[in-house]
Amino acid sequence: MKENIWSRMLNLDRRWIFLFIGVVCIVPFFFPFGLPVLPTAHVISIFDYVENLGPENAIFVSFDFDPGTDPENMPMAVAVTRHAFSRHIPVFFTANAPLAQGMLESGLAYITNPALEGYFHVVSWQEWAQYRDQGITERDQLEAAWEADGNVLPANSSGWVFEGRDFAKLGYLPYFSLVILGMTSSIASQYPEDMNGNPLVEMPMLQEHKSLRDVDLAATFSGTAACTWWITYGREKIGLPVAFGVTAVSATDYTIFIQSGQLIGQMGGLRGAAEYEVLLQNAGYFDKPDRAFIGMDVQNAAHLLILFFIVLGNIAYFAGGFHKKGALLKGRR
Amino acid sequence: MYETIGIWTAAIFTLAVYSFLYKENPLYRLGEHLVVGISTGYFIVVTYEQVLKPRLIDPIANDGEYILFIPALLGLLYITRFFPKIAWLSRYPMAFIMGTSMGVGFPLSMKASVLRQLEATILPLYSAGMPWQIVVGNVVLVLGTLAALIYFFFSKPHKGPFFGTGSKIGIWVIMIGFGATFGFTVMGRISLLIGRIQFLLNDWLGVIK
Amino acid sequence: MKRTVPLMIVLVGGVLMIIQYFIPHRISQDIFDNYTIWVPIIGAFALALGVGSLTRLHGHKVRNKAPNWPYSLAVLLPIYLMPIFAFFVPVSFGGGMDEPGFYHFAFMHIQVPIQSTMFSILAFYIASAAFRAFRAKSVLATILLLTAVIVMMGQVPIGELLGSWFPKLGLWIIDFPNNAAKRAIGLGVGFGILATQLKIIFGVERNWLGGAGE
Repeated sequence: MKENIWSRMLNLDRRWIFLFIGVVCIVPFFFPFGLPVLPTAHVISIFDYVENLGPENAIFVSFDFDPGTDPENMPMAVAVTRHAFSRHIPVFFTANAPLAQGMLESGLAYITNPALEGYFHVVSWQEWAQYRDQGITERDQLEAAWEADGNVLPANSSGWVFEGRDFAKLGYLPYFSLVILGMTSSIASQYPEDMNGNPLVEMPMLQEHKSLRDVDLAATFSGTAACTWWITYGREKIGLPVAFGVTAVSATDYTIFIQSGQLIGQMGGLRGAAEYEVLLQNAGYFDKPDRAFIGMDVQNAAHLLILFFIVLGNIAYFAGGFHKKGALLKGRR
Repeated sequence: MYETIGIWTAAIFTLAVYSFLYKENPLYRLGEHLVVGISTGYFIVVTYEQVLKPRLIDPIANDGEYILFIPALLGLLYITRFFPKIAWLSRYPMAFIMGTSMGVGFPLSMKASVLRQLEATILPLYSAGMPWQIVVGNVVLVLGTLAALIYFFFSKPHKGPFFGTGSKIGIWVIMIGFGATFGFTVMGRISLLIGRIQFLLNDWLGVIK
Repeated sequence: MKRTVPLMIVLVGGVLMIIQYFIPHRISQDIFDNYTIWVPIIGAFALALGVGSLTRLHGHKVRNKAPNWPYSLAVLLPIYLMPIFAFFVPVSFGGGMDEPGFYHFAFMHIQVPIQSTMFSILAFYIASAAFRAFRAKSVLATILLLTAVIVMMGQVPIGELLGSWFPKLGLWIIDFPNNAAKRAIGLGVGFGILATQLKIIFGVERNWLGGAGE
């Protein structure tokens, strides 16, 4: 076949395309547009649901993803956790795979990192033992007693989080679908101790919420179909309310569960996380949104470039008459 | 010190993996192999700390729950897989897990994936005050589901007004579904790249906030 | 003993668990609760299969100096060093215990960046595919492409600038026609799962027995 401008264009070394996308994903970080992200119904419904919970309720935040989908799933899990911590809603943290447990630790390390603005200051299980011994376990009383003893919240912190009162790290167990089922009867029988080896049965949040039946929401953040376990084994067994935070690739597969009422709402990809960050900011929890929102600027530019590639590729294909002539040159790079 | 070395190591491995885009090279291969090794090693540690210690060793040693020897022995049978003469014994734990989990899953899967989905497709197309786009959407949802199901029904030839037209509409609906997935896939792939670039520019180089 | 007993275990276990679901009696619930405590313990031992297989495969390559055998060391060493660092030498670079140790380091600063970067490489390939493979060759391909473009632009703020109908149309497509397609596929998958579960329980499907001898 004779070479012309169109064939040369279509046979372009793909490394040039790699370079284009790389540049387009770097430049907007230096010149942010800061375009607004408008929250959609699927995300607002999760936010509103959590907004109506308080210290007397409890939720599960399940880190069901591995490092591969960390950039998509982590901002969602972080946003929901920060929301729950801000409202003093007790959070049980689980993970459906060993590497997911690593992501759980990494997410909590980010939320509680004193070097970051708006972090949550952790008071470990051991640190507030004396207050437990005095019978002080109610959330507001505990915080008042803790601060009365001279503990001052750092200026850049959003609040205290007491291990065992505000959160419990349950972590990973094999055959997690059956673990969800087991927790519909008893959480402590599945997890005798937390990830740090602390006895769960002694924790106030466990004493108030013994099984999934006493839990008000399970939010799963997942890069695989494992998120549906929470629907099959939690929702269908005991009516547990479930919310999804899934990768964009699988987001369109699970909207059927929203329509069927099996799911409260869903965050899809980076956009979903950015929407939740905007909702947190609008509600006055934090001064500014987090990393997902910043990433949306780059997403704009990249989508425009991909659109440009699709249009250009089609123009070259049809203008060059390749739809008639059959295959393009073989052995393209 | 720890953080600095950590960020530099992560940055070097990130660039090593990206070097694959130019050409396959030994650094990329090293990364590829390390991922398998480290994740398996991590798996061992987490399994011991999360399962074997708190659920098996501690209850037997501290509380005398000797009944837990039964699942432990059953689990140990997996290892017979490495000894050809008695490898068949590894089928026992597999059979136990397989059979019971299938039985546990059957009624719940039936509810979650079939009954609730059918129920959700039987919906009122119109009610007072419903916006027109929802009414149209409901019609598309109900007829579209039916049409797509007809497309997947291969026991009858796709001919005639019902099966022929139905399957034709069905494939259109399926293409729209795949198109939506594709649109989201582009977003997802770019998001993953954004995450890594944020790491390089922010955490490593510190040139953006 | 080799085939019949496992098949009987599957049949009895499966049928008992289905019956258990429909009989919410205390005894059946207690049995079920104990079962869910046992399962993770059994599952934990399955890890030995993975570790054993990897060790055998890569140990063989190292012993025989197979091509590229040094890479096998990059698999074998971390498998065994990770537990050693976690349980026996939990020290950090400074030699103290204040900072996280090598075990934590290897996961957070080697595993996580490599794995997430590997996934992110797909962004480059999807860009390349957008240019060279996504063609409106037929009516169906055009429908797919148009839907993808609308949904894609509806997901980013710039789409909202082009017109407020963009994201609305994108969401409508996801909530209605997309749901129709995914529901039909989902029902097919759902029936498939149920059929497979029954086939395994009743011994029609036996592939899981594997090649562990007759």
